[in-house]
Amino acid sequence: MASCDLSLRIGPLELRNPLLSASGTYGHGLEMEFFTAPTELGGWVSKTVTLRPRGGNASPRICETEAGLLNSIGLENRGLEHYLAHTLPVMARADTVVVTNIGGESVEDFVEMARRLDGESATDAFEVNLSCPNVQGGKLPFATSPALAAEVIRAVRAVTHKPLFAKLSPNTAQLGEIARAVEGAGADAITAVNTLLGLALDWRTRRPGLATVQGGYSGPGIKPVALRCAWECARSVAIPVIGCGGIQSASDALEYLVAGCAAVQIGTASFSDPAVPGRIAREMGALLSAAGIARVGDIVGTLHDGRETLQGARSR
Amino acid sequence: MPAPPPDARSLTAEVVSVEPCGEDGVVLTVRPEVELPTVRASRFFMLRRTDRLSPLIPRPFSLYRQRGAELEFLLKVMGRGTRALAESRPGDELRLIGPLGNGWPALEGGGAPWVMLGGGVGSAPFYLGIQQALAGMDGKRPARREELAYLYGAARRGLLYDLERFRALGVPVHTATDDGSEGFKGNVLGLLETLWSANKLPREVRLLACGPHPMLVAVERLARAKKLECWLSLETLMGCGVGICNGCPVATRPEGPMGAWPNAKCCVEGPVFAVGAVTLEQPGEQHGSPRHAPAACVPEAPHEPERGRAGN
Ligand SMILES: Cc1cc2nc3c(=O)[nH]c(=O)nc-3n(C[C@H](O)[C@H](O)[C@H](O)COP(=O)(O)OP(=O)(O)OC[C@H]3O[C@@H](n4cnc5c(N)ncnc54)[C@H](O)[C@@H]3O)c2cc1C
Ligand SMILES: Cc1cc2nc3c(=O)[nH]c(=O)nc-3n(C[C@H](O)[C@H](O)[C@H](O)COP(=O)(O)O)c2cc1C
Ligand code: FES
Repeated sequence: MASCDLSLRIGPLELRNPLLSASGTYGHGLEMEFFTAPTELGGWVSKTVTLRPRGGNASPRICETEAGLLNSIGLENRGLEHYLAHTLPVMARADTVVVTNIGGESVEDFVEMARRLDGESATDAFEVNLSCPNVQGGKLPFATSPALAAEVIRAVRAVTHKPLFAKLSPNTAQLGEIARAVEGAGADAITAVNTLLGLALDWRTRRPGLATVQGGYSGPGIKPVALRCAWECARSVAIPVIGCGGIQSASDALEYLVAGCAAVQIGTASFSDPAVPGRIAREMGALLSAAGIARVGDIVGTLHDGRETLQGARSR
Repeated sequence: MPAPPPDARSLTAEVVSVEPCGEDGVVLTVRPEVELPTVRASRFFMLRRTDRLSPLIPRPFSLYRQRGAELEFLLKVMGRGTRALAESRPGDELRLIGPLGNGWPALEGGGAPWVMLGGGVGSAPFYLGIQQALAGMDGKRPARREELAYLYGAARRGLLYDLERFRALGVPVHTATDDGSEGFKGNVLGLLETLWSANKLPREVRLLACGPHPMLVAVERLARAKKLECWLSLETLMGCGVGICNGCPVATRPEGPMGAWPNAKCCVEGPVFAVGAVTLEQPGEQHGSPRHAPAACVPEAPHEPERGRAGN
């Protein structure tokens, strides 16, 4: 049985396999080395870095629900200077694609971040976090308005040649429009999706599960929602889509590829077991090989959703 | 960035036995796929069942005892996670991530006595602590039995888990219960005061504590007031145990050795912290701490935790 070639390209990036870590779920450096080494994955995505340090939200910041996890970490991170001085040099030595996820409260923040990071050869690409429920009063302005999302991407595009992934939110009815808007503004790929807004509470104590009351919902419970979002993005744009949400296994990951994603990210599953992403990479190879598929790209966008008859739908 | 310890691994483990312990606890004995070298007391493992998707997030437990290839955990059944583990059966497979965290400092003999304060299931990390102190840690001088004292408190007798096993270690064990059903009537701090008043303990002691949050807040306050060396083993919520989720913050003391950042990660920088490094006191119940009530996000002043916003 010939083994399936898992490698792929996203714009100019060459990935050894279609599995990336999801931002905020794989650490700030080499925490995962002994569980899932960065070299086992197609790419490493940093926790969102912001211009200035952020101490994060009050506790409790995490709350497990029946089928997933709510979080309100609050983008705790030590800021851009610290990232440049301490995280990037470490990641530069790891043999994998390094994606820096950038976050901001304003277009200017994003631009300043991209400008400062553009000269850093250790960063292979940017993931622009348009979808953190934690900026501008939780209203998700960049993630719910095609015009604002495009404005951020256009402004960042103007200051860097590095590939840009636009990370979108499921908390909108206009996902297709937003996907097209960021594509038009110069994004090289779309990451779909960030967490869903959610809430948990205890009716006896009347206390919310999170100090911030609402938070971001992730894990297996969101998979059908996230998969649909990724599919909607994939059918709306020609640039690659990186699916994210609820992936626990290699078959979950393959569902995203069939729905049209070029690659996927693994988030909350790493909390169940930090060795999971590496295991999924190995299992994906085994499943595809057993199915007689020669190259992983061969199954991308093969869903029988009526779109297979459209000219050029699978041109990427 | 603080990383998980280099000896931590993701392992499978087979359940050997689940024995009831006290009113609401069990001792869970597992055999990991590889035999582990001696694990330092007050280090911990993340545990979850692998035969079901939910609970998804593994739960942290101190190592209670280590016997050959077998690891024992003392679990108090609290909610879904602990119930699922307590209901596992011999032969079941668990995911075991560890050993994690730092563990107690070297409990060497020859100085002020080590007074160990355990509250309820917070007693788990003291069994190995006492054993290892008596055997000598990190090549340092072993503690003599009379240089150790275990003060064990709980709401009532049935929540003093495995009391006889602690007594069998041969160090002085003093008990306290809120209802007086066993030992001193009151909490471990009241017990400590009476031992001090009766001259059964010198004034200069070194404290180790593990137990419910209010107890640890009181221990922190006492240690600070009396300027005693004090180490707390903290039980925060944990989403991963390996430093990747940011779900386990412990407030650092701005003037302390970790004060450059407002939060320490309990999983990779603890779970054992010196009282000078962190504080458990919530804003509003502070006694002389410079920290103020949490306010809205002030990124330039990272010592203020943010409130009222969602987000990853
Ligand atoms: C380093 C470390 C070592 C620990 N060692 C032990 C041990 O040896 N034995 C043991 O029984 N427990 C130990 N714990 C606590 C244990 O992890 C929790 O009791 C467990 O996670 C609860 O999970 P659950 O799903 O059963 O309860 P949940 O359904 O999550 O919660 C039930 C109730 O318990 C409360 N709770 C949940 N987690 C904690 C927590 N970490 N601390 C205090 N209250 C909590 C919740 O607020 C809720 O009221 C340790 C925790 C840490 C961080
Ligand atoms: C604890 C936690 C922290 C996260 N932090 C970030 C972050 O900093 N930036 C970001 O873009 N997404 C963040 N996310 C979202 C994930 O990257 C991912 O989009 C989401 O969790 C859905 O995937 P999953 O179901 O596989 O976890 C975070 C998620 C979790 C659970
Ligand atoms: S438990 Fe996840 S960072 Fe500590």
